[in-house]
Order: sequence, then C-alpha cells, then structure tokens
Amino acid sequence: MTVETNLKEFFTAYLVEMGEYLVAANTQLLALEASLRAGGANPRAVRETFRALHTMKGLSAMVGVEPIVGVAHRLEEFLRDYDKRGTKPPLASIDVLLRGVRTIELCIEELGSGSEPHPIPDNLFRDLEAIEPSGQSLEAPPPALSLAPDLVRKLAPFELAQLTQAEQSGQRALRADFCPSPERAAAGLSIATVRERVAKVAEIVKILPLSVPVSPDAPGGLAFALLLVTSESDAAIADAIGVPATTLSALCTPSADAGAALDVPLPAEDRQEPVRDGGAPQRSSLRVDVARLDDVMERLSALIVTRFRMARAVATLEAAGANTAEVTAILGETARQLRDLRAAVVGVRMVPVADLLERVPLLVRGLRRQTNRQVRLELVNGNAELDKSVSERLFPAIVHLVRNAVDHAIETPDERLRRGKPQEGLLRIVCASRSNNRLDVSVEDDGRGIDAEAVARRAGRPAPQSASELLDLLCVAGFSTRQVANTTSGRGMGMEIVKRIVVGELGGELELETAWGAGTKFTLRVPLTLSIVDAFLFECRAQRFVVPVSTVEEIVHVDPDEIVYGPRANDRGPAVGVIARRGRSIPIVMLRELFNWGAAEASPKAIVVKRAGAALAFGVDRMLGQQEVVVRPIEDPLIRLPGVTGATDLGDGKPTLVLDLIAFSEVLSAGRHRAESPS
Amino acid sequence: MTSLYVGFVVAGTEYALAASDVLELEAFSGATEVPSTLPHVEGIVAVRGKVMPVLDLRTLFGHERVAPTRDTRVLVTRRGARVVALRVDSAREVLKLEPSQFQSAPALAAHEAAAYVSSVCMLGQRLLLILALSRLLGEEDEHHDDEQRRLIPNSSATGPHALPSRGDR
Repeated sequence: MTVETNLKEFFTAYLVEMGEYLVAANTQLLALEASLRAGGANPRAVRETFRALHTMKGLSAMVGVEPIVGVAHRLEEFLRDYDKRGTKPPLASIDVLLRGVRTIELCIEELGSGSEPHPIPDNLFRDLEAIEPSGQSLEAPPPALSLAPDLVRKLAPFELAQLTQAEQSGQRALRADFCPSPERAAAGLSIATVRERVAKVAEIVKILPLSVPVSPDAPGGLAFALLLVTSESDAAIADAIGVPATTLSALCTPSADAGAALDVPLPAEDRQEPVRDGGAPQRSSLRVDVARLDDVMERLSALIVTRFRMARAVATLEAAGANTAEVTAILGETARQLRDLRAAVVGVRMVPVADLLERVPLLVRGLRRQTNRQVRLELVNGNAELDKSVSERLFPAIVHLVRNAVDHAIETPDERLRRGKPQEGLLRIVCASRSNNRLDVSVEDDGRGIDAEAVARRAGRPAPQSASELLDLLCVAGFSTRQVANTTSGRGMGMEIVKRIVVGELGGELELETAWGAGTKFTLRVPLTLSIVDAFLFECRAQRFVVPVSTVEEIVHVDPDEIVYGPRANDRGPAVGVIARRGRSIPIVMLRELFNWGAAEASPKAIVVKRAGAALAFGVDRMLGQQEVVVRPIEDPLIRLPGVTGATDLGDGKPTLVLDLIAFSEVLSAGRHRAESPS
Repeated sequence: MTSLYVGFVVAGTEYALAASDVLELEAFSGATEVPSTLPHVEGIVAVRGKVMPVLDLRTLFGHERVAPTRDTRVLVTRRGARVVALRVDSAREVLKLEPSQFQSAPALAAHEAAAYVSSVCMLGQRLLLILALSRLLGEEDEHHDDEQRRLIPNSSATGPHALPSRGDR
C-alpha cells in the first residue's frame, strides 16, 4: 500500500517535472529559431534544449514511459551533433523538433489523465532524418579571441562560439580574474559568492581555475579566470567580483595586449578539472503541492475567523462593564500578527507573471502557421507576481484573446500592405501591477478593429454607443461563435468565456478599446490574490453584507431629498434615481429595491462603484466599518448569482454575503438594455 | 438486502432519504438570506466551514414557512460535488428497510409534488414517502436552473438569456 502511494506521488512529481522541461525545451527552441532567422547562431539554446531532452529521457526511463524515452533519445541525438561541433542546425529542423517536443507533451497529457500514451507517429523520425545537416561549421577557432591557447583548449566549441559571437547580440565577452584570499573570504567573497553575484550581471560562459605564483594578491597561488558575456558596464562587473575595473579584459578586441598581460601560463602538473560552469545562481527551493498551500490558507482563515469571535466576546464583556483594556491590546497584537502571517502565506503562493505568459510564444507561433498571418509578439512582463490560483484561471482567458487577435483582428500580409500597414502585425501583451492589489493585463493588436455596427446588426440590437456597450454585446452568451466569427470582421469567439473568467470567477474587470482599421486592446484587471480581502461592512434591512474595498470608488453621504427620480421606463425592476456628485450626475439604486426587499428607509449612505469608467451608487441602510474577511466561494447553482461572489464568517458563525456591486451594476444595465430594445 | 434510510417529518408527513445521501444532521437556527433566489431557497448556512444553500422542504412541498423550533433540523446531503442542506420539521430515526416494503407511487401521480417522491414504503401502519434527492435539488429539471438566474425577480417577461449567466459551466 505504502509503496503504491509513494509511486503515485513520485509519478505526480514526474509529470510536474516533465512539464517544466517541456516548457524549457519549447522556450529554447523558439529562441534558437529567432537567432537562426536573424542569421545568427545560438549555441546555448542548442545546448539547453539538448539538456532538457536528455533529462526528460532519463526521467521517463526511470518511470518506464518508453515512447517518451524513444522520442527524447532521437531528438537528443539529432541535437548532440550540432552541440558537439558547435554548428547551427538548419532552420527547417526547428519545426520537426517542436513537433517532437509536442509529441512528448501529448504523452504527458495522456498519462496525466490516466490513459495509455499513443504510439509515436513514424513520420516524425522520418522527417528528422530527412533534414540535411547544414554544415556551417564553427569548428575552426575564431581568430579574435585574445586568450592563451592552452585556455582556449579547455573550452568546448559551443563555449568558444558563445564568446566570439557576443558582439553579434550587442554584448561583450570579458575576462575577469578572481584570487581567493582570507581577507576576501572575510568580506564574503569566495568563488561561490562571486559566481552568484556575477551571474546577476553577466552570463558566465566558463570558470577556469589557474595556478599562479604566490603573491600578496593571490596568497593561495590560485586564481579563477571568469569568462563572461555581458551587456553591463565594466564597473558593474568589477564591483560584483570585488576587483578594480582596470583588471578586466575584453576577449574579442583587436588589441591583444590587455588580454595577454593577464594570461598566466598553467603548469602541466597543476592541471585540474575545470570548475563546473555556474549558469544560473543556485537558489534553494522546494516544490510544494498547491493543495498543501490551500490547506495552510484554510487553517489561517479559520484562525482569522476565531479572532473575530474573540473580538466579539470581548466586546460583549466590555458592554457588561468588565475591564478589557489588556485583552483588547492583545487582540490588537493578534490582528497584526495574523496580518503578517497572511502576507507571508500569500507570498508563498505568488508566482511571477512571466510564468503565466511563457507558453504564449508557442501558441502564437502555431497560430501564425495556421492562419498565414505574420505576427510579431511583444511581451512586457514587468516583475509583477500573482497568486498561483489566479494565474491558472486567468491563462485560458489570455489564450482566447490571443487567438482572437491573430485569427480575426490581424489582417493577412497582403491586406495589411494595401492598408498601408507594415506587413507584420503586432501583438502586444503587457502586464503591470497597480497599487490596489490588482494586475492589469492588456492584449493589444494593430489589426482591423471591431466593426461595432456589424456586431450590432448580427446581434439584432441597436448600435452600441460606447466601447463598454460594444463589449457587453460581444460577451453575450453564444453570440459570435455561430453567427459572426466566420462571416464578418467581428471577433468575440469565446468572449463570453473571457468575461466569465475575469469578471465572474476572479471578480475583476474587462475593458475594451477599439478603433476601426487601427487595432483593438483588451484590458483584464484582476485581483492579485483571492480568498482574503479588505472589505467594507454594511447593513441592509438588518442583514449585514460585505463588499471588497478594492471594488469601491468612494462612500458618500446622500440626503434622500437630493435624489431625483425621473420617469420610469416601466414598472419592472428597481427605481433608478440620480444624485449630483462633484458636478457630475451619478445614477443611484437602493439595494433594498434591487433585492425586492421593500421600500428603502431614509438612506444616509451610498457606495459608489465604477463600471467601465461610469460611476453608479448603491444606497444602503448603514455603513458598519471595514475589516479583513475570508471569502469562501459560493458554488452551488441554487445560490450562484451575478453580484454574489461568496460568503464570509464575521465571527457569529453565520455566513455573511460578499457582494460584487460592479456585477450588480452590469445586471442593471442589462435590464435597461432590455427596456430599450425594440423586442 | 436491507438499506439504511434517514426518516424525517415535513408538515406532518413522514419522509425518508437514503442514508448514503445524508452526510449529517444539524440543529437549525436560521439562515442568511440570499436575495433573488427561488422561493424555497431559504438562504445559506455554514456547516464546519463549508457554505451551502438551505432548501426549505415545507415551502418546496407547498406549505407555509414557519419559524424554526427546537426540533427543526437540516439534513446535509451530498450529490456528486454538490452539498445542500434540507430543512425539515424534525428528524430522529435511522430506518432499516427491506426491498419488499417498497411500492412504486402511482397514487401520488396527480399530486403537484409527486415528482419528488420516488416510492412509498409500508412500515407496519406507517406510510413513508421515499424522496429522490436529485429531483429535490432540481437536477432533472432545467427550468430551475433558468429561474435561479433571475436576479430581479419580476423581470422574467423578457427572458432569462439577457442576463449574464454565471450559473452554467
């Protein structure tokens, strides 16, 4: 039994690990393709792809997945030659290699869903064999490397190539020497820390240990020559190593003197194995099942609820006349500690946005071929991070938008030329975190834009007056998949899904900007984390509700006499009034009326939210305060309603509804739509 | 093969649900109302940290809703991934029933709530109505699903499709 469980756990770990190497292989192959297209070589990408394949072969052999072992082995063999000789593979091979990686990916997907992997299509191997080696050998050592020949001999062809080709990619190849000494060690500089520090400012091609005459600078008679490729300044590199910038030497300049001066002959008897090249700095990390983090979060949530209960009990005691000063102080401290703990736990769950988007280049590449469009992809990740669960939910929405942009928005190369646009379309994805714990992801193209009137005609609705109305129209269930996508310039395939993910599941916002003929930009505004949020508490007909602070623009005092009610379009639905606010008119709805809970009391407070730039106020009976709440999702279809995102426990053991007023405002405007439409 | 059932009372009538459908029995002191739901959805309750809807079987079976008493119970039931609490007037027994005691329920065919009853069980002089959980939860009837999407209760005239449908997957 135990053995079986262990195997199962091991197998899960295997699938996860394979997933990571697959991503690495894809990324490296795409980088290689980009270099080859630009006429250059990318020996490092060849090397990394080779390594990823080699590791996948090993892992798969361990769990006995023979089909993957076979494919990985064949791909690896193919790349091995190029890696050994330091030559570049032909451009045509990238396709076949990507197909091979995809084959492995399919096997992993099948294994993950519990089925047997399909046999490998034989044409894959045939196609691989059909590719002629390109033969553009880089074997002859390039001329301009100012490095002693015995050091050159220690470098693998791909390492040499990397140094000599640094200039092509706008970088420089440098040599820096580091001599370990007790003083430097005391200052925290050892070869290990130097390697870590240098890896941040340069790519370490090789570290060669050298034996040097004992001197005050090199008391151990040992030096390390670091061969680097970098785009940073000399000063930055020298600083990382802790040596004066003047001791650095360029490896690829015509002036050989500087390099020669530093060359130190290496006595034969002192030859050692080269130190393994550093690559990325080694950070100690741990792979953790997300379910375990969820469990931690769940327990923390329970703790926060317990604190609420304690606070209530203390309030009761205080009301009964007890002296609670000390307990209150402790309670305050617990609140702070819980907040810190929460921040720590939330931090553990954060993943870089870059991870979210790393699969996009491959997606775009596939779409390019399917649709015969020329597309340049620009990814701007920033260094934002977001919760793993948010990231996972968000990705399908981005896939939909990317697909729409390439499929429907960006014109064919001919059409683009006719319209005076560059032949190559631009797809730009930008991620930026905003101050209030939200992330903006925009997917922008310079394609033909959305023809609002065509969309309206298809939907049988009046032409939308604004981008947000157009967006509403695009997001209507089942709108375009059947009616629009194949006939007009409309997009919207899957827009309903995008909206459901962004607005429904994540409680975010979706925005659209489009200009006919010039392009379209979708902005997805989502919270960075789920589950615990800062919220306002309010009361409506003696029932308490909470609303996340991040969705509220402001809370205003409203004098009931100031609310102006115009003529009502029909007698259905709640009455919508208007209030004046800083020189602008804002529609206001009493929440009681919206809920059909009878007429509102004189309502002194209103919560203002913004949907697509337009403000809307909701009248409530009373504001009760602000606190952190743990949001539990409401999943059952009987109680899943637009506007109700979840429930929370304020410490009384009873659930309190968490409202999304922005979604309510949407329902209201949908209601108005209906009233206006001719049907 | 005898099977276990949980027996309970709603408006004076004895009903039973298969014990395999019932996770636990809990006392009931009130639910949090969720606006714009179906009339028999009393609201939500939290049982051991999990939030679930409470269906009032009195309302569902065509009786008036009453204030909870000391006897009032909720049966926490599970069907697939859904967990739903059913409010009943009282619940005490777990019954062992033989297949020979079951009869189909033709006599109830004309009754409006007949759809919820899958069979009748004779227990000496007692008559027990055996309920089908899936039907109580509205799973075999698509109309329920459409209706629950209505946020503004009296706006149904223009049809349910004009609203963003968050309820369906």
